[in-house]
Amino acid sequence: MPPDGVIIKAEDLWKTYDMGEAIQVHALSGVSFEVDRGEYDAIMGPSGSGKSTLMNLIGCLDTPTRGSYWLNGQLVSELTDDELAYIRNREIGFVFQTFNLLSRASALHNVELPLIYSGMPAKERLERSEEALRKVDLADRMHHKPNELSGGQRQRVAIARALVNNPSIILADEPTGNLDSATGEEIMGVFARLHEAGNTILLVTHEHDIAAHAHRIIHVRDGRIERDERIE
Amino acid sequence: MASIGQTASLPHALPARSKGGSGVWVTTREAFWIALEALRAHKLRSFLTLLGVVIATTTLIVVMSLINGMNLYIADHIANLGANVFIVHKYAWAQGYDAWLKARRRNKPILIEEFEYLRDGLKDYKNIGAEAETQTINTSARYQNHSVYYLDIAGVTPNMIDIGQVKVASGRFVTESDYQHESLVCFIGQDLVDAFFPNVEPLDKEIMVNGIPFRVVGVAEKIGSTFGESQDNFVQIPLTTYRKLFSPRPSLEVNIQAWDAEQMTILEDQTRALLRARRHTPYREDDTFGINASDTIMEVWHQITAAVFGVTIAIVAVFMVVGGIVIMNIMLASVTERTHEIGIRKSLGARRRDILMQFVIESSVMAGVGGGLGVLLALLVSTVVNLLVGPGFFNSSVPLTAVLVGLFLSAGVGLFFGIYPASQAAKLDPIEALRTEN
Repeated sequence: MPPDGVIIKAEDLWKTYDMGEAIQVHALSGVSFEVDRGEYDAIMGPSGSGKSTLMNLIGCLDTPTRGSYWLNGQLVSELTDDELAYIRNREIGFVFQTFNLLSRASALHNVELPLIYSGMPAKERLERSEEALRKVDLADRMHHKPNELSGGQRQRVAIARALVNNPSIILADEPTGNLDSATGEEIMGVFARLHEAGNTILLVTHEHDIAAHAHRIIHVRDGRIERDERIE
Repeated sequence: MASIGQTASLPHALPARSKGGSGVWVTTREAFWIALEALRAHKLRSFLTLLGVVIATTTLIVVMSLINGMNLYIADHIANLGANVFIVHKYAWAQGYDAWLKARRRNKPILIEEFEYLRDGLKDYKNIGAEAETQTINTSARYQNHSVYYLDIAGVTPNMIDIGQVKVASGRFVTESDYQHESLVCFIGQDLVDAFFPNVEPLDKEIMVNGIPFRVVGVAEKIGSTFGESQDNFVQIPLTTYRKLFSPRPSLEVNIQAWDAEQMTILEDQTRALLRARRHTPYREDDTFGINASDTIMEVWHQITAAVFGVTIAIVAVFMVVGGIVIMNIMLASVTERTHEIGIRKSLGARRRDILMQFVIESSVMAGVGGGLGVLLALLVSTVVNLLVGPGFFNSSVPLTAVLVGLFLSAGVGLFFGIYPASQAAKLDPIEALRTEN
């Protein structure tokens, strides 16, 4: 059991795919690292480096072939699908490159979705969701649908959704990939504010300019950690 | 930012089971609204999908309504012999075609002597009367220069007014005295009043019945029509007069009235025994007469409706299965279309059962809406039938059980045929699903 204050402890994570006829592809080959509470880290690497696979493992969308992963003191690397879903609901706040909002639902409904899967009753859900949207300065747009919002606004809705269930970590996969540079900077500003408030943030990116916003960059290449760089 | 932004300081312990009750209810309601929204978003596609279920439900309800209406009609107009009355006649009225052919050869009419034999031999009955009817082909009645054709001329015992369904509107029925004296008096139906005496008092007038003068002593209340045929086109005269003038040995309908339903069964058996004995019918042979009661008539009617209903069930089942398969296919397509959305939901914490519930509820709601449409359509058809066929005939009345069965059956079909697509959706890998482009 990792000591208190360690949010993520990854120990010798492997992810192997069987391509048939005894051919195996190792997307990750023995990745180990730790993340403390309140860190702002970036995971950086070119495409094919295994950073997406690592992100899927950290985000509990998948389990490693070998190795152990403790999230917030809990060993999650051997959980069942339903248990993983529960962890994703309570512990992980995803922010995706393509926003991944439900296009036929309002901003408010999108934000309350994790709370619906938590089984929270309607009144409390609405309060929390409205609060989350207020924190990202979108309270006046809560009944708009995604196609009525700009790219930056959509990403902010996604961030509100990520926060609404008080997760342990916020996991952002190329959060500015579909935004112009000005809007991108805006969003990175939101992340900075979230970090100052005490959230643990993990960015996954292949761009150095984005990774530079973090205080630590974990360089990944060919399924291994190449370098673990602390910057201030 | 402080309250919402801070990460949790304690590990979220994994519970033995998820926060059950409110969780399932919440996702159920969410699924319900999603289902309605999906229906609204693709109205034409939804309608075509539901066509099978709609037709099945409409068929089921319309048939049940028609049968229901006919049951009431038959019970009222045809099976209604009067309270606790059964009728002994040459023929059994409700029998198959083959049985009727046999009866035509073998059966003998009930004669006046047999009527008197029963009257004297049966015990404790409330009343016993007899009625003889002409063939209507050669009948006519005339008053002044008006004529009526094809009327029933019935010879009756005076107590038939107490046993039968006919009621006195004005004047009186045939009396015992008329019967004894073979009087030339008649009791007329409303059709004759309309034809001969539209503005005039009918009583004591003389009309010619098949060329013979009769005095009108009474008028019957209007009965109405059965299957389009008027039941008011008749004259009733004393049976003795009838025998003297029209037919010396008529085939009688002996009406026997019991005090209650239990006694009626006993009297039926006694009647059968007495007549068979009198006619020396051997033990193994069938009766040479018919004993008719409302339950035997209704029984044959029920056999007919059961057959109709059986065919209907088959048709409805076929449409439901076809409709269900269509729903299943549409749901499979829908799942494919919404793979990305399913991936998003799973990434936010939707478990397999949440996704399964969502899609099963969607297909159930969709099919249930189809059932609802079927109910509305059936009500429409029922109303149109009633308007067209009119109060002179029968009413198709929609029974509540039919509506409930239709709705539940539709939803059930949706549920059953939705399980496979829903389970496919539930099994999707979230990473693969998220990678799918919309």
